[in-house]
Amino acid sequence: MKSTFLKAGGAVAVAAVIVIGWHVRPLAAPPWTDAEINVLRSLSLASLPELPPDPSNAVADNPDAAAFGERLFFDPRLSANGGISCATCHQPVRHFTDGLPKGQAIGTSKRNTPSIVGSAYSPWLYWDGRRDSQWAQALSPLEDPNEHGSSRLEVVAVVAGDEAYRASYEALFGEFGNISGDDPVALNTAFANVGKAIAAFERTLLPAASRFDDYVAALNTGDVKEQETLFSDDEVQGLRLFIGKANCTQCHNGPLFTNNEFHNTGVLSSPGELPDKGRAIGVREVLADPFNCFGDYSDDPKRQCAELTFVRTGPELIGAVRTPSLRNVEMTSPYMQKGQVATLAEVLRHYNEAPDAMIGHNEAKPLALGTRERRQLETFLKTLTAADAVRQFDSM
Amino acid sequence: MIMERIAVRFFLGFVLSTFLWEAAVAHGGVVQEDDLCVIKVNYLRAHFKIYQPRVSGHEQFCEDLPAASESVFIMEYQHDALKSMPIDFRIIRDVTGKGRFARMEDVEQLGDLDGVTVFYQPAMIEPDVFTVMHEFAEEGEFIGIVSATQLDTRKVYAAVFPFEVGFTGVGYWPFFIAVLVLLQLQYLLMSGRLKGWIKRRSPGVAAGILLCALLIAPVAADEGGLRVSYSTPAGPPEINRIHSWILHLESAEGMPVENATIEVSGGMPEHDHGLPTQPRVTEELGNGDYRLDGMRFHMRGYWEITLTVGTAEGASVIVIPLQL
Repeated sequence: MKSTFLKAGGAVAVAAVIVIGWHVRPLAAPPWTDAEINVLRSLSLASLPELPPDPSNAVADNPDAAAFGERLFFDPRLSANGGISCATCHQPVRHFTDGLPKGQAIGTSKRNTPSIVGSAYSPWLYWDGRRDSQWAQALSPLEDPNEHGSSRLEVVAVVAGDEAYRASYEALFGEFGNISGDDPVALNTAFANVGKAIAAFERTLLPAASRFDDYVAALNTGDVKEQETLFSDDEVQGLRLFIGKANCTQCHNGPLFTNNEFHNTGVLSSPGELPDKGRAIGVREVLADPFNCFGDYSDDPKRQCAELTFVRTGPELIGAVRTPSLRNVEMTSPYMQKGQVATLAEVLRHYNEAPDAMIGHNEAKPLALGTRERRQLETFLKTLTAADAVRQFDSM
Repeated sequence: MIMERIAVRFFLGFVLSTFLWEAAVAHGGVVQEDDLCVIKVNYLRAHFKIYQPRVSGHEQFCEDLPAASESVFIMEYQHDALKSMPIDFRIIRDVTGKGRFARMEDVEQLGDLDGVTVFYQPAMIEPDVFTVMHEFAEEGEFIGIVSATQLDTRKVYAAVFPFEVGFTGVGYWPFFIAVLVLLQLQYLLMSGRLKGWIKRRSPGVAAGILLCALLIAPVAADEGGLRVSYSTPAGPPEINRIHSWILHLESAEGMPVENATIEVSGGMPEHDHGLPTQPRVTEELGNGDYRLDGMRFHMRGYWEITLTVGTAEGASVIVIPLQL
């Protein structure tokens, strides 16, 4: 009898030691290897290359165009009801997202509002990549009946009818042609120019440095004390998982934490909707878009268009959507293309399970991460939070 | 003992012939093959699955559905012909009285289906994957009818599959499983494969090992006497940057190979995906050099670039391994 008590007591004591030890054991992070430090540097904003040129937009880097585009971006007159601007969904205070599962404008838009910050680096715009430049993208919501609900005729009329806008426009692009609608090419040209001015503004929106970037800077200088001040043990462990066991950098790589490519990760369909076919449809749309890089309204006389020329088609694209940036991910919930997933914890649970995709093939593999590891990953992701987007021409 | 065996065989033969007769008259339906649920629209096949994402998450169903809820029906084509055929999809309440044994003939006898139709998706051409959604208002027995039209001959192929929504009992499943197990046993016994398999097992293992060894033999970039090298003028390949390669083709004797056709594919074998772009050889530069444009890699890791090179001597396949 006594020995049974002793055994039971012993077992409880051992269990208690294990449980307590698990939670309080010192997590002296082993130092990063050179290879790991290289990966961390590749993720830091310090590695962000120069803005890639956009030869399809002659005013892409013109500060006057950016200033004009900024006014257009915030102007609700470019909508059917006079109440919707680009900033209705792309809210600067929310890192140019809206905090909703799907954008709410005149109606409900098709997908979750993605951030604009850093989008100049992406060869493709939208979750399904159905546009191939920032300016071609900027045109599309203006005519979407659920978003601005306007038309190119009305948009161009608002710009031509406003004295200040007209002056800005003509200084950049010359006089308006016949924009009455009788001459579709002249109207489309003016409409495309509106998009090019908005794109010139959007192009200036770049992410600000986060605590993660400071940590990499401290790694570069070898300042251990600074490293310890900046990152907790859990954050270090989370980062280690991020670049290692959790396979995150397969897609979330580079200083913007995205490869801007299309992947199927088996996210469940949104309530009341069929599963999203994603890039399979998007690739057809971008090839058919009259405002694409090959089109008549591109300013690139050589029509180089490498991305569009060598664009991939095929069944791998079924259900695939573009990898979003993880910068400020904590502040841009809900997640996924339809905002189906409310919290980062749920996102991590999803990737941990990697269930079969409803349509197409889930590229992700189950990760077998424990609760604690997922929590560490989440803690690390929050170190990517930064101040509001940096306007590149402010610092110039 | 012998009598028993004969009796079992007789029973199985009877079941088998009934089953075959059923299959012969049916136009098509949903069947479970190995681990895959398959819909057969006449000879056209598609992987068939149903989801109830709101109540069952990622769980897949083949026919019967646990609840009256939002249900997504998916057909992933196994025949490319289906990609360009108009397909319509109808769900009717089962009023045939045949339940699980309802067939096309029974549906045809109903005449006008509109009165019993709970969902109808008019014919549409879906080049990628066929998906429809219906929210069942009530539990019960239903019949799904899929028809695909061949555009040139106007021939219509159909599949009929009875199913239950909100089924609670085990239904006919144990019976079907028993029949399937018996059929398989019958097949194995009659064909002598079971014995043969046991007999062949030891040499089979050896053959398997040999085959594996052949498959994993290192594939270098010099098959068929052809040697390939490449350079990247814009510096070493970086991820997420579109760039060009210069390929150099040489014969086994070191002579440049000209006028070759080169097709390019590739991907990450460990991740089951291809290249993010469709690169092409755009220019022959002379001296066995070819310009390959549109290369881009979107992940670090192990990549393979597969070149199919056609020359006057024939075609060869060359795999270039690449660690990024």
